Amino acid sequence: MDSALQVEKLSKSYKRRVRQPGLLGAAKSLFSSQTEELQAVKNISFSIKRGERVGLIGENGAGKSTTLKMLTGIIVPTGGTLEVLGRVPWQERRQLALNIGVVFGQRPQLLWDIPVRETFRLLKTMYRIPDDVYQVTYTEAVKRLSLEPLLATPVRQLSLGQRMRCDLAAALLHAPAVVFLDEPTIGLDLSVKEQVREYITDIQEKFGITLLITTHDLKDITETCDRLLLLDKGSLLFDGSIKAFEQKYASDRRIVAEVRKPVEAEERATLEKEIIKLGGTLKEAEGHKIVVEHREEGAAPALTQLLLSRLQVVDLNLEKTDIETIVTRIYRQPVGKD
Amino acid sequence: MRALEPQLNFIESFHSYVSLFGRSLRASFAYRASTVTSLVTAVFMYAIPMLVWRQVYAQNPNLGISKAKMFPYLLLAGCVNYAMGMSVEFRIGQRIRQGLIATDLLKPVDFQIAQGIQALSDGLFNGALGMVFFFCGYLVLGKDILPASLFSFGLFLVSFLLAFLIQYFVCFVFVQGAFYTYSGYGIFAARGALQQTFSGMIAPLTFYPPFLKAAGEWLPFRHIIYTPVSIYMGWAQGAEALDLILQQLAWMTGLYLLGKFLMIKSLKQLEVQGG
Ligand SMILES: Nc1ncnc2c1ncn2[C@@H]1O[C@H](COP(=O)(O)OP(=O)(O)OP(=O)(O)O)[C@@H](O)[C@H]1O
Ligand SMILES: [Mg+2]
Repeated sequence: MDSALQVEKLSKSYKRRVRQPGLLGAAKSLFSSQTEELQAVKNISFSIKRGERVGLIGENGAGKSTTLKMLTGIIVPTGGTLEVLGRVPWQERRQLALNIGVVFGQRPQLLWDIPVRETFRLLKTMYRIPDDVYQVTYTEAVKRLSLEPLLATPVRQLSLGQRMRCDLAAALLHAPAVVFLDEPTIGLDLSVKEQVREYITDIQEKFGITLLITTHDLKDITETCDRLLLLDKGSLLFDGSIKAFEQKYASDRRIVAEVRKPVEAEERATLEKEIIKLGGTLKEAEGHKIVVEHREEGAAPALTQLLLSRLQVVDLNLEKTDIETIVTRIYRQPVGKD
Repeated sequence: MRALEPQLNFIESFHSYVSLFGRSLRASFAYRASTVTSLVTAVFMYAIPMLVWRQVYAQNPNLGISKAKMFPYLLLAGCVNYAMGMSVEFRIGQRIRQGLIATDLLKPVDFQIAQGIQALSDGLFNGALGMVFFFCGYLVLGKDILPASLFSFGLFLVSFLLAFLIQYFVCFVFVQGAFYTYSGYGIFAARGALQQTFSGMIAPLTFYPPFLKAAGEWLPFRHIIYTPVSIYMGWAQGAEALDLILQQLAWMTGLYLLGKFLMIKSLKQLEVQGG
């Protein structure tokens, strides 16, 4: 069995009771059953191989959590089919629960009233973790996530970040075949974020875990994943490697030069022609600043050489649009288009 | 090392439940403070029917049941009721509303059983406090409060256990409403009102007007308090007691299955709250 996740034309729509404003409205809606439908996930298809590490991104309300809820079997899809480890999640939820690890960043996974260490012991029994595996995952978690000082504390007394670390450790304790992480770095400080990413990568490699992670911090994805899924208002807008994503959307690489004296008008015209010949465009040539943009990966050296030979360059910068910028730009577009 | 993919199996699930029980007990202990306050409330709650009945007997000592039987009954009913204390609706209602139900559903254990284990640990804790009531009662009422016979006591233990399970499964059926209303309070109130009326907590059911008595016959609530206490007091003996226990067994099984069935329906339409 090669594929870990198989999703085919998956959809989910939520029904919402329509509420009119005001007290009278509230009274009316008690009796009327008027509902409106909200399509949170629209017809998405993808498949993930065993051992793959995939990031799922999309703006607020794009349908990421909804997708994860369907994949883990806690809600039932309204359309399409899905399989995780060869099982239909909502039909075999309890069996599947034994084989997956889940963190929903915003909710605590651990028992509220008992110390963290006790919860871990309970999970060891519940998930039947063999001693040798437990030895590895437990020690690794305690060491990597600095849990030692937290182990004796009841969960309700932990800070958000402390709790998140414990949750993550708990979700990976049984070295599950598939791990779903919904915003696992929410509310963590920068150094803990780094710790968490390293820990995830480490355990993933050690056990060949299949990883699906959603986040708003793209660094989580660039550091732990190879592949990217982009959801846009419930539809799958992109599915491919992170490199392919950059190539597709990072239209502009920029060369920004500062020159000693401003470029004259006719000089500018000839320069522009030559730049076009080399596969670039002259975006800006006002005053002392020159900006050249190009799409082709290999065009930078020739364009730089051109600028250096024609102008008295004082300072030079090569810029590439980073993935954050690309994603922000995509989110700003009114309707998801390429 | 390879990632793990174990299969569900019955024996090992059983280990999980045992383990879960130990942890639940500890969690019940964590709430000692709130237990003490609820104990104080309970004393007031049970004191009031007693005071009312004392007044009734003062005016008319010739009721169907003698005063020497009535007060032990009320006290025992209070103890049993206290031992049945479980925050099932409250707990599950809260978890549904806050979306924490997701966490429970993602554990490889049966939700109905796991919650039952929580209830059981609450029950043991409250049961221990119920014993304290009982001993206080013994100091006041003397041997009137002791079981009719050793045999009655044995049957009572069986009936009490069944009563506990019925109580849990009743709560579990009612709490299914929380999957639709996303709140446990209304359900708690509704079940509470029915139970107060029909369980026999405020008076033996023989005192009820015929239509209420008839309604009570068709409901499971009387098997939660009236049945075990009647057996204890020796009002129901031999074949009659066995018949009651069989009825309890039937109710328990029916309610268990109904809860299981309703839960499947509830989950189909559940929309786990919160991103
Ligand atoms: N229980 C629910 N009932 C009704 N609508 C819901 C429910 N849960 C989510 N939605 C709606 O479905 C859409 C998708 O929500 P979802 O939680 O999947 O988004 P998300 O991608 O996880 O967003 P975020 O980044 O903010 O976590 C949203 O428009 C949301 O309002
Ligand atoms: Mg979300």
